[in-house]
Amino acid sequence: MTAQEAAAGAMGVPRGRGDTLLRAVEEQERARERRARWGIVAGRVAVGVGFLLAWELASGRLVDQFFVSRPSAILGALWTMLVEENLLYHLRFTITEALAGYIIGASAGLLLGFALARVDLVFRIVEPFVVAFYGIPRIALAPLFILWFGLGITSKIAVATVMVFFIVLINTIAGIRAAPLPLLQVARVMGASEWDLQRKVIFPAATPFIIAALQITVPQAMIGAIVGEFISSNRGVGHLISREAGLLDTPGLFAGIFSLLAVVLLMNQGITFLGNYLMRWSPRRGITRDVV
Amino acid sequence: MSPSQPIIEAREVFKVFTAQGNRHDRRAFLALHDVNLAVDAGRFVALVGPSGCGKSTFLNMIAGLVRPTEGIVRYKGAPVEGVNTDAGYITQDDNLFPWRTLQENVEVALEFRGVPATGRRAEAGKYIAMVGLGGFEHHFPHELSGGMRKRAALIRTLIYEPDVVLMDEPFGPLDAQTRVILQDELLKLWEGSGKSILFVTHDLVEAIALADEIVMFSRAPGTIKRRYTVPISRPRDVFRIHAHPAFGDFYDQVWRDLKEEIIEVALEVRER
Repeated sequence: MTAQEAAAGAMGVPRGRGDTLLRAVEEQERARERRARWGIVAGRVAVGVGFLLAWELASGRLVDQFFVSRPSAILGALWTMLVEENLLYHLRFTITEALAGYIIGASAGLLLGFALARVDLVFRIVEPFVVAFYGIPRIALAPLFILWFGLGITSKIAVATVMVFFIVLINTIAGIRAAPLPLLQVARVMGASEWDLQRKVIFPAATPFIIAALQITVPQAMIGAIVGEFISSNRGVGHLISREAGLLDTPGLFAGIFSLLAVVLLMNQGITFLGNYLMRWSPRRGITRDVV
Repeated sequence: MSPSQPIIEAREVFKVFTAQGNRHDRRAFLALHDVNLAVDAGRFVALVGPSGCGKSTFLNMIAGLVRPTEGIVRYKGAPVEGVNTDAGYITQDDNLFPWRTLQENVEVALEFRGVPATGRRAEAGKYIAMVGLGGFEHHFPHELSGGMRKRAALIRTLIYEPDVVLMDEPFGPLDAQTRVILQDELLKLWEGSGKSILFVTHDLVEAIALADEIVMFSRAPGTIKRRYTVPISRPRDVFRIHAHPAFGDFYDQVWRDLKEEIIEVALEVRER
């Protein structure tokens, strides 16, 4: 039931013609929504196909094929990688590294954020340190982590973790500190404990910030894993890409990049679903579509 | 608590605020000056006074959200120390949780108090029906009108049966008609409940329509200037309160005193 229907029902006014109109407008809205959805899909396909087509045509005519390759050749290289070079085996390593780093970094950032942000004095003491660590070009830590954790999967997970951790930490702290004071006060007077406050007021108030951080850090985790593999490894898509680059095999290079792109898109989609669920109360997703 | 003891009592209360803005010029200012007030259980008391006179600060002290710099505020005979979860607190903004549906918002205080889900639902349903919000249980606050949100804020406070309800200009942001309707609903919910209400407002008509007693604060630093007993019996008709024979003279009297304070504030601002 929509708000309008409920309002009409609550007032109990019989109005045949108005109800018919209401139904008609709703049906129109739904149809418009369907059309818009299809339009978006069609538009995306057109942009994608157009881009690939332009690339295919420009390659060898406007730009040297050696540098930019061409989509058809990349597709071929992708197929070769898949059947001859065990792309899926390498992907599995890279995904494991990125995912593990992402989960560890994000949970640590969230937990520490909640631990640090609630007490103003603690926050003010640690703030410069957090900012300083955040300011380190984190990718420069990769060689150090390989020194610490060896050539295996652990060092790549560690790089992915620091790529994610600080961004989630800083956003979580910002989100917690943006929780409106009146909501906290009202909750306290209504009898909320500190645990209630954290879970039922502060966390939901901070979700827009947290979700933003979780979205931004998906590709960051991937960067961490790949750079770790670049520096030293004998498996993973990063290893594959650096090998293709060594062989001056541009199509193979692009094939590696595209397989990573697919993984990042999938992970991002997952976070988007999570975000939509956690933010279902947000007015932007509600009935305010009519705003010009 | 003995029956003769006031439910709320303030003795020689002073409040000093310091501005947090400029570190090198930490100016303090006096918000409340020697406030003394006793409120008996079951009374509806309106607090009026010029803007910035400390009425809201005083309310926040009873809620335990602000501490007096000097003096003591007692609630049911005991000094208020820490948040007063025994009272209800309703502000100008409805402060509903935007991530909770109407029903979840109404239930939240019971949730904090550990009432099991089935009990909460039944109780919330009762209050939601009482203010005519049936059918909107699963709407989020942004899908409700201002009046509906205010009703929700009202019942989510009443649901845990606080003995004292502190209301800080609760109907301020509403349009004139919705306002009168809600005043009427508030009186119906309150009458016979035995609860005490402290109600901050800038609207003298509202104060007269609702309260047993009006307490007037002076301009800052706020102190209690005068107390009036509203000479209109209950039950009251808020829709026609201005037509009551005692209304005109009483309104003029209160307004004269308030006007003095407002004019002084205006003069002080001009001198600065």
